Amino acid sequence: MKNGFLIFFASFVMLGGSWCGFVLAPVLQLGGQKQTTILNSSDVYPVGRPGLANQGLQVYRANGCAACHTEQVQQEGVACEVVLTSAGINPMAVTNAMSSLKLTGLDKNTADVIVDRITAVGGKAEIHITATGPDIARGWGLRHSVAEDFLYDDPVQLGSVRIGPDLADVGARRPDVNWQLLHLYAPQSVVNGSAMPPFRYLFRIQKIGGEPSPDALNLPKGFTPPAGYEVVPTAQAKELAAYLLSLQADVPLHDAPFTQPPAVSKP
Amino acid sequence: MLALFGGAALWLVVGSVLALIASIKFHAPEFLANHACLTYGRLQPAADDALLYGFCLPAGLGVALWLLARLGGTPLRGALVPIVAANLWHLGVFAGLAGILIGDSTGFTWLEFPRGGSVPIFFAYLLLALWAMMNFTGRRERALYPSQWFLVAALFWFPWIYSTANLLLATSPVRGVVQAVIGWWFANNLLVVWTGLMGLGATFYFLPKLTGRPLKSHYLVLFAFCTFMLFATWCGIPTGAPVPAWMPTLSAVAAAWLLVPLLVVFLVVWQTVQGSVKSNWHNTPFCFIGSGIDAFLLSGLMLMLMSCPQLSRFTSFTWFGPAETQLRLYGFFAMTMFGAVYYILPRAVALEFPFPKLARVHFWLSLAGIALLVVPLAIGGVVQGWKLRHPDTIAFADTTKAMLPFLRASTTGLLLMLLGNLLFFANVMGLTLHWKIALIKQFIAFVKSPLEPGSAYASPRRDKEVRA
Amino acid sequence: MSDESKSSTPQTSGTGPYVSRSTVPIWIIVLTLVLLFLGMVYFDHHSGWFDPQVYGPYASTEELELYQPKSGEAALLARGKARYDQVCGLCHGVDGLGKAGQAPPLAGSEWVDTKGFERLTHIPLVGVAGQLSVKGQMWSMSMPAMGAAMSDEDLAGVLTYIRHSWGNKGGPVTAEEVKAARAALGTHPLPMTGDQMSKMPE
Repeated sequence: MKNGFLIFFASFVMLGGSWCGFVLAPVLQLGGQKQTTILNSSDVYPVGRPGLANQGLQVYRANGCAACHTEQVQQEGVACEVVLTSAGINPMAVTNAMSSLKLTGLDKNTADVIVDRITAVGGKAEIHITATGPDIARGWGLRHSVAEDFLYDDPVQLGSVRIGPDLADVGARRPDVNWQLLHLYAPQSVVNGSAMPPFRYLFRIQKIGGEPSPDALNLPKGFTPPAGYEVVPTAQAKELAAYLLSLQADVPLHDAPFTQPPAVSKP
Repeated sequence: MLALFGGAALWLVVGSVLALIASIKFHAPEFLANHACLTYGRLQPAADDALLYGFCLPAGLGVALWLLARLGGTPLRGALVPIVAANLWHLGVFAGLAGILIGDSTGFTWLEFPRGGSVPIFFAYLLLALWAMMNFTGRRERALYPSQWFLVAALFWFPWIYSTANLLLATSPVRGVVQAVIGWWFANNLLVVWTGLMGLGATFYFLPKLTGRPLKSHYLVLFAFCTFMLFATWCGIPTGAPVPAWMPTLSAVAAAWLLVPLLVVFLVVWQTVQGSVKSNWHNTPFCFIGSGIDAFLLSGLMLMLMSCPQLSRFTSFTWFGPAETQLRLYGFFAMTMFGAVYYILPRAVALEFPFPKLARVHFWLSLAGIALLVVPLAIGGVVQGWKLRHPDTIAFADTTKAMLPFLRASTTGLLLMLLGNLLFFANVMGLTLHWKIALIKQFIAFVKSPLEPGSAYASPRRDKEVRA
Repeated sequence: MSDESKSSTPQTSGTGPYVSRSTVPIWIIVLTLVLLFLGMVYFDHHSGWFDPQVYGPYASTEELELYQPKSGEAALLARGKARYDQVCGLCHGVDGLGKAGQAPPLAGSEWVDTKGFERLTHIPLVGVAGQLSVKGQMWSMSMPAMGAAMSDEDLAGVLTYIRHSWGNKGGPVTAEEVKAARAALGTHPLPMTGDQMSKMPE
């Protein structure tokens, strides 16, 4: 190749290609994305994070939490389960139809066939769809993460290494703000053998005034401050905890369908 | 030239120190934990950026400048430009690293520098690239040697990706997950394509030069050039990412196609140096560049493995990814730059390194260091991936505990690398000192005998350029 | 691994080292073409053809649509069940059998399993206060207007679901009917008492 211009042209075309593919196209396709509807409901998703949680995202960014934690759940497949809802007028026939049939871990077409068979003998059945994959099995989420989950995040903190557990659904998994604050102050006190550094600089150790502060942390033995002192979270700690609690991604959407389990009834 | 390399050596040491501290925190989470600016989440990105922006980019630019001038047969004119650019660059890196440590990071991997750092760097790069292009277009030797293709392409690559990434992520951010996509595109194009182009450009000059063998062959290298640029630029989107399926699929396919340029580069290198390795073993720059190209091929294979959907189940979100990146950045690019600098600097300033034997020690330390860093982390990453895939039997806390022995080895590797980098720094700084002293001596001699004309009293800077 | 024997004398380009000019071996070209083909086949199967809704676990839009809730009455039922489980089932039971001291059963209830639906529609919209007889038993818990905050579609789904389940044989309730009932109520309606409910037509 003798011509310097040719080199420039070739590089321009090659880089332009990937620019079109991974910059222009995603901006065109997802850049104007709006809220989506939750399946079987008219509620929209996502709703923007409350102000405190938004500031918490900036605390998350500034302290580089994404260096150890990811915020994306991966899903490997979908499994259907056929659940009998009514035995109908001829329970024997229904039992016969269902005997020796595998009812879990099915694909949709097989599940549909089984449901048809049950309906034909007078019973009623429904199909429960669940996401499958190690992340799901670990309780890190109910479905894979989608673009809508990050709609209002700036900057998006997906993370790339799991030195610590995934946080996409941590607000649903650990909804107690006190646990979050305790974990930030002294991770080893709530998680045995944790490699997470203590974020003590997000807290203040102050002398107990007339009365202990309502915000003071209830620390286990071995982590308590000296007598007469209490550990109080700073505004940054509270924002970060609020952000962590706002991380919930457990509703079914069009691009991530599943059957939502029933809400746990409160006694 | 010296300003570029000297500052680069300094940032290399700084980066190594930061990385070492970050690594030690795994064995003792309480280590230096009380200070916000030393928390792991700030140290690790700062260490990575110090290596990339502090050392790799300026070293690469310096080597490219020298190579382009040499191959074009035209000395670089206007010594003020690189000095201004280099100082601007190092100022930018300093501002950027400080910004990360005080909490001003942008939050995007490999793009953490706040505006106070990214803007000076961008303009410094533009300055140097434009200067190099002016030299290139005005070159005396019109026929092109293959290295020049790679270097010119690399010079062009960075401003586009850096400006796009900064504009669309930091300045006027795009919405939601598109930020992640552009971030991945940028990181891949900088860490894989740019370093690949620069590093291969240097390698394809030095390997034939140092062994005295011809580069085999023109068309193979051309094929490698085109296929590498074409395929590698599309890698980067990880499998299973929360983006529509077509994006990770494109990246996975491009990574599989990457086999072609990797194979061709292997062929070129093999055919060029075949049989001459033993006889050149004493030549330290050759050792650096040889091990560099091996690391390039290995990290390319690792990249392919990470992108293959069946295998990425075991490597995604594990230490395998950082291992590949470190192998590529340090094992390939930095080692190639070390070899190049050890060759170029003495010729550029017409002085010898103060501690030539230490260069050999540096080589062994760096080689051992990078091996100790990458191999345990790669194996540990696969172990971690395997454990993460068994949620019924293995709790998450166990995966963290299982990593400790691997991390211990990698910390030792980092320590060895730090020692090697210190030796490099000592050599470069020593040379700079000698050069400055020689400059002063010549100036004094010039002042003492102003009446005698002759080239002996020509400006020492111009001497350096002509000899390049 | 021999080159095509077209190697000419090594070329020099100015100040650089020598470069030989042998051509690219044919097997590399073949390998490239094979890889290109395989890659395109893979893309065919896994890309969802650039659809922004198709993510990793699904191979195509068709597969994604398979797992969506069906439209029509089945969708209304599914939606109603989901809502019922979340809101009503906490007191009335997921099995519709009610809970002693909390809420009367809906299965086989004379208030649910009716021909008409207007009276039933009013119950979640305004709530119940005072005593009410359900299936022969007296209940004196008051029910808040749980359906007042629901959308028309959701409430229609819930009502359709409870009329369709646990042996009840009532017909569906549409969203328009719910909307009309809601509009006829006006603002801040009071909860009905058992007497008012018995006097209302179905």
